[in-house]
Amino acid sequence: MSGPRVDAKVVMLGKESVGKTSLVERYVHQRFLVGPYQNTIGAAFVAKSVQVRDKVVTLGIWDTAGSERYEAMSRIYYRGAKAAIVCYDLTDSSSFLRAKFWVKELQNCEEHCKIYLCGTKTDLIEADRSARQVDYHDVQDFADEIKAQYFETSSKTGRSVEDLFRKVAADYISTTFEVMSEERGVNLEQKKDPFFYSCCHN
Amino acid sequence: MAADVHNKAVPWETANGSLAPVERLRQDRCDSPTPGLVEGTEPGAGQDSHMFVHAQSFEDLTADGDDTRAEAAGSENTSRLGEPADEGAQGLPSEEEQVEEKESHPGSRAKEEDVTSEAWRRHRKHVFVLSEAGKPIYSRYGTEEALSSTMGVMMALVSFVEAEKNIIRSIHADGYKVVFLRKSPLVLVGVAQTLQSERDLSRELHYIYYQIISLLTLTQLNHIFQHKQNYDLRRLLAGSEHLTDNLLKLLDRDPGLLLSAVTCLPLSSSVRDVISSSLQAAKAKNLVFSILLAGSHLVTLVRKKDQYLHHMDLHLLFNLVGSSSSFREGEGWTPICLPKFNTAGFFHAHISYLEPGTDLCLILVSTDREDFFNLSDCKHRFLERLRRRTAYQALQEALKNPSYSVSQVGIPELRHFLYKSKSSGLYTSPEFPVPYQSEEEQERIMELYQYLHSRIHHPTRPLRFIYCCGESENLLAWVTSGFELYLCFSPLGTKALAVSAINKLLKWIRKEEDRLFILSPQTY
Ligand SMILES: Nc1nc2c(ncn2[C@@H]2O[C@H](COP(=O)(O)OP(=O)(O)O)[C@@H](O)[C@H]2O)c(=O)[nH]1
Ligand SMILES: [Mg+2]
Repeated sequence: MSGPRVDAKVVMLGKESVGKTSLVERYVHQRFLVGPYQNTIGAAFVAKSVQVRDKVVTLGIWDTAGSERYEAMSRIYYRGAKAAIVCYDLTDSSSFLRAKFWVKELQNCEEHCKIYLCGTKTDLIEADRSARQVDYHDVQDFADEIKAQYFETSSKTGRSVEDLFRKVAADYISTTFEVMSEERGVNLEQKKDPFFYSCCHN
Repeated sequence: MAADVHNKAVPWETANGSLAPVERLRQDRCDSPTPGLVEGTEPGAGQDSHMFVHAQSFEDLTADGDDTRAEAAGSENTSRLGEPADEGAQGLPSEEEQVEEKESHPGSRAKEEDVTSEAWRRHRKHVFVLSEAGKPIYSRYGTEEALSSTMGVMMALVSFVEAEKNIIRSIHADGYKVVFLRKSPLVLVGVAQTLQSERDLSRELHYIYYQIISLLTLTQLNHIFQHKQNYDLRRLLAGSEHLTDNLLKLLDRDPGLLLSAVTCLPLSSSVRDVISSSLQAAKAKNLVFSILLAGSHLVTLVRKKDQYLHHMDLHLLFNLVGSSSSFREGEGWTPICLPKFNTAGFFHAHISYLEPGTDLCLILVSTDREDFFNLSDCKHRFLERLRRRTAYQALQEALKNPSYSVSQVGIPELRHFLYKSKSSGLYTSPEFPVPYQSEEEQERIMELYQYLHSRIHHPTRPLRFIYCCGESENLLAWVTSGFELYLCFSPLGTKALAVSAINKLLKWIRKEEDRLFILSPQTY
């Protein structure tokens, strides 16, 4: 057997130091590393299997560097991705602008990729409310506009990290399931539901 | 790029005495108990092919400079430590022998070093990188912002001299050497209080230059500055400062960068062969180099036929892996330019540790940026193959002792040594013994080695042999066409003792060469 079989490609995008690597680290290894900031070089890949109800999916997670240096090459990291977790730092408003850039990029190049907005480092604003630089409702509006899911996480405390990736996995399973049942066309339950049926055709 | 092919027609040397195997052919090298002095017959010389682009020394690193090296003049020298390696300033008349340091603006970020402080001035070696427009790109100590006026002055100096169709190389003043390296569109400046020569400092600046190229490619760098002369390159280099910082640390501490050579994990040749052939079997279409590292030691390297890696590119890869813990988990995939191979384009490197918690790091270099999963597959195939062999246990065992003690050689006065086989580009060196275990002491002894290196490779008065007495140790360096040898003795030893130790050491290295060197490199 060669390397891990991957069902869904998931890409982490966002400005440097917003906490993408920490998010993956928390999710995959259940830990938060302190110490001097180590920026990611190029990109890092890690696979993780998740069970959602009776199904197991393996997420192939690409953690990108977010540096301008390899921007021209960033397509190789998100091409064919089923999900993109676009991160920004809740205490840094410029990182939200950068997140918008990535969203636009995905909309242009990767229309089938589901977008998840993720505001990071909630522990910092819990400790000091005035540290928040990105308004919750602004993001909510933006998320509605681009039809994205929205999470606020902390890799330090672990808050909502599991929920985020679980949602990614669950969404992947349900879309795959929909597509499959559509192809087979013999799912009786679905046929009974005209709304669901038509929705799948758009 | 000049292909530096192994030069078999090397002049036959007849250095002092019995060691030279007169008329000996390369083939019986391995059977010979006496180490040859000549390139290709020295201990550690590869059997039939080489792993690296054959690098003589500094000239090869710079390649484009005109080579005015006086061939080993055969001189011998005994001196006190600390004599300057090159006397006299070059490049500038005396009234300009001052480094100007403009007072910088107050209010620079508090966390950063104060560039007006005495402590800042006292650093042994400063390095600055700037654009031709005088814009700061990198500074080893202190922020670039705080140093922008200093860098402006540096650029003014460079331009001033160039206006007269001259090139500024260095300024020597007051115990400092200021060395300039002009590599359009960049200018690099080193300010050092070390015993190194201008030439060795310039060699180090080349490393920094190539480090930057490895991130961007020269093509991209030129493109950027052609379009926008006063572009702030720090935008593109963001996040890479620690790579340059770490490289400068390696230049101070790692004998490999000084010797232009790589050191191997001591391993029995049968074990190494199994590892190499497993790696060789895990090939892929676009794979060019497969490199297995244990910390800063090379375990094995397999390359595509006819493709050679330059030791400098390998050091840049070592530095990339060594200065980032981000490869520890998962698999890294990054574009990298190997500038001594080709400054124009990116390779793509798959970087991963073989297993969690191990020091064994595998670097697979491909020409195809879409190759990640192919290479990931290569890695798994390699690992599976290796796990089934007993060689894997032997390798794990060897990792517990990545170095060896100098006492194994059996020369009581000998404290430490560096031995480089020129034809293989590999070197060996024992771990630092007791008096040199602190970082400061290691840097001090390295600085002495650097000093000897500077003397040996002096551009106009090169030496073949040098013996120096210092307060804490005596040092000897000897270079032949086959090897470079640096020895460190206790201060109580004598010169006669030191000279007699050479023979014994070379015999020991010959005996151990199967373990210490990679004698039969592999290709796919
Ligand atoms: N307090 C806090 N700090 C965080 C959190 N996530 C990341 N950081 C810190 O932010 C810095 C950048 O994190 P990293 O994950 O490397 O960012 P990346 O460049 O986006 O991968 C590091 O110093 C982390 O310790 C978090 O949830 N809370
Ligand atoms: Mg990161």
